[in-house]
Amino acid sequence: MDDIMQYLPFFIPLVIIEVALMLTALVHVLRHNRYRFGNRILWIIIVVVFGYVGPILYFTVGRGEE
Amino acid sequence: MRGFMVFIKKELLEQVRTYRLWILFAVFLVIGMMSPLMAKLMPEIFSSLDMEGLVIQVPEPTVYDAYAQFFKNLTQMGILGVLLVFGGTLSNELARGTLVNILAKGLPRRTVLLSKYAAAVLVWTAGYALAIATDYGYTVYLFPNGGVANLFFSLFCLWLFVCFVISLILLSSTIAPGSFGGLILSAVALVVMLMLGMVPKAGRYNPVTLASVNTALLEGAKSVSDLTITVSITVVLILSCLIASILIFEKKKL
Repeated sequence: MDDIMQYLPFFIPLVIIEVALMLTALVHVLRHNRYRFGNRILWIIIVVVFGYVGPILYFTVGRGEE
Repeated sequence: MRGFMVFIKKELLEQVRTYRLWILFAVFLVIGMMSPLMAKLMPEIFSSLDMEGLVIQVPEPTVYDAYAQFFKNLTQMGILGVLLVFGGTLSNELARGTLVNILAKGLPRRTVLLSKYAAAVLVWTAGYALAIATDYGYTVYLFPNGGVANLFFSLFCLWLFVCFVISLILLSSTIAPGSFGGLILSAVALVVMLMLGMVPKAGRYNPVTLASVNTALLEGAKSVSDLTITVSITVVLILSCLIASILIFEKKKL
């Protein structure tokens, strides 16, 4: 287990990217209310629960037109 | 030529404004950082799992494992990311009808297609370079000893394969209707090719081989000359996909 702790700093950038993606997507979901499918609640859940995948799905297939 | 450059700029700007560029870069950055780490920590992860006395012996990971992990992640998450990000590039514009104005003003249809392809390849190449740079840095740091064979060629094979995937997306988008049409049809085409890839003798003629042979190349089990045919076929297929999509697109009613 000590070995894993030793590599902890390496995970910091990964966590930063994950949180940044989540926040960007969350803000976008809250500020726009048009989605290609689904509704706001569904997208909030997807974006928050599914680490990297949620925001990626939102920005590629979920978000509606401006 | 001027129209071409202008349209490439428009494409890149669109990738930035819709966050797609950043999404793709984030995916590749994560792949680059995670792969060597996963390889390095695999034995610890296994030993920290309590499996009721079942002991799994994992050999000490090497540079080869780090690159194997990198290629595995790229061919799964990476290609999925590329499909999602570029899947709608033409389909969306066709579905929304935003191309009608530009085409009516006299921009040739082939210019639209070719600049879309060029912009997508440009973005993919940049993301891929980012992944390689991070992965290389982490790997050198975590695995100071040893090296692998054919690294550059192996990376090139995957690059070419994804360029083929992008041309496939454009062709599918000109054929299938709707804003998800291109994405779905190209995904189906890829799955069919993956299944054909299981036919042992036909592997040499299937572009999918370029995305599955990478670790064999690193081991030295395959050499560059084994893949000359596959690489040439893929290049021919990319060109035919582009030509076919231009021909179909020219005849298509918008």
